[in-house]
Amino acid sequence: MTILRYLFYILVFPGALFTIAVGLFMAGIDRKVIAHMQKRVGPPLRQPMYDFFKLLGKETIIPAKANRAAFLAAPVLSFVSLCFIMLFIPIFGFTAINGAADMIVILYLVTIPGAALIIGGASSGSPFASIGISREMVTMMAYELPFVLVLLTVAKKVGGDQLVFNLSLVSDYQAVNGSLLSHWSMIPAALAMLLVIPAEVGTQPFDVAEAENEICEGPLVEYSGSPLALFKLSINMKMIIMTGLFTSMFLGGIRTGFVALDALLFVIICIAVMLVSITTIHAVTARLKIEHLFKFYWTVVAGLALVSTILVWIGM
Amino acid sequence: MFKKLIDKSAAKSPWLFHLNTGSCNGCDIEIVACLTPRYDAERFGFKLAGSPRHADILVVSGPITVQSRDRLIRTIEQTPDPKCVVSIGSCPKSGNVFKGSYGIDGPLDKYVHVDVSVAGCTPKPEAIMEGLYKAALILEKKREAMHK
Repeated sequence: MTILRYLFYILVFPGALFTIAVGLFMAGIDRKVIAHMQKRVGPPLRQPMYDFFKLLGKETIIPAKANRAAFLAAPVLSFVSLCFIMLFIPIFGFTAINGAADMIVILYLVTIPGAALIIGGASSGSPFASIGISREMVTMMAYELPFVLVLLTVAKKVGGDQLVFNLSLVSDYQAVNGSLLSHWSMIPAALAMLLVIPAEVGTQPFDVAEAENEICEGPLVEYSGSPLALFKLSINMKMIIMTGLFTSMFLGGIRTGFVALDALLFVIICIAVMLVSITTIHAVTARLKIEHLFKFYWTVVAGLALVSTILVWIGM
Repeated sequence: MFKKLIDKSAAKSPWLFHLNTGSCNGCDIEIVACLTPRYDAERFGFKLAGSPRHADILVVSGPITVQSRDRLIRTIEQTPDPKCVVSIGSCPKSGNVFKGSYGIDGPLDKYVHVDVSVAGCTPKPEAIMEGLYKAALILEKKREAMHK
């Protein structure tokens, strides 16, 4: 029975199917809202789904110079790791796998899609991909520091004396003391996290690694057909995962008692977070250069996170 | 299981790869005009792809110059099936005013079957949109033919 339950968790509810469905839906909303901001009609909400299924039906070309095994394994690696992250993120009262230090697990799991992109790009043997992977590595280094600082701040705020890296405890703490966003010392950390989300997902001002018009989508340049579909799907799944992480860390604490109702509220809040952190920033900015991105994350964003860390450490 | 959905999606999400084979830039500007908010080709799912490996529709503009001929053939080979080739303007179809020049090795249908050709020098964005939409419908037929 336990095995069946965990299979259900992994394949259907917080795992694969839920993440894919919500991720594609959110990407559709993202594109539609951007279109409306630019006074366009925009694609239908189902467009990311059409894109995904169309790519599944395309021929898969493997370049002669590519390392076949690594080239095909990388998108699967990225997809599988993303299926598992949602199990650790509490959907308000409900957590599929309740670990002792799930924040640390999530921190490692969210780097795997980036690493998979690097593996895939490196094995494709294209010069565009090698520029892309070097930029991807720099981007990962850039957002990882503020991300870790934010996690530390949350852990300290919730734990008090010791650090608590358990997201369910963070959720319980918020049910008692109000959401963490209502504590003023956490607001800089929340802002930093809102800026980490677009870099992690790889959208407009921070999509230097996958810049279509200068380096032909970087690491993805040689991909076609179903491996490309998996990579594009991973980007959409990251949207729900990163905004979900923000929601459970800063806007948690809602308890309706029904998992379905909780999940619905969770998705609505995630969409609201996405509209602020991904869509609006995407619509009003142009792509940065890689050195500006790195400087921005290690000064402004890390600075914001550090302010919060210090405030929390001195007991505010 | 998803066969029908995949076939339908082929027409709903055509990604373009724009190939300039010596065009005077007039047609290229009109293609870009299709993607701007005024005409908004994205409402049919059209998107400009960065790499021919991601593309469904190859949009070719310009008479085929001798310099770009080999690149044209390579780009066509790099595009995964099902794919469509759309020629924009009179140049790829007939050579236009460049016909007979020593630097031209056209027309386009010497190298590949052209599915849709939009005539004009330069064609209006409305005409380009209609041509691309027709190509998207052809894509669906080609996708259906793939599993027969």
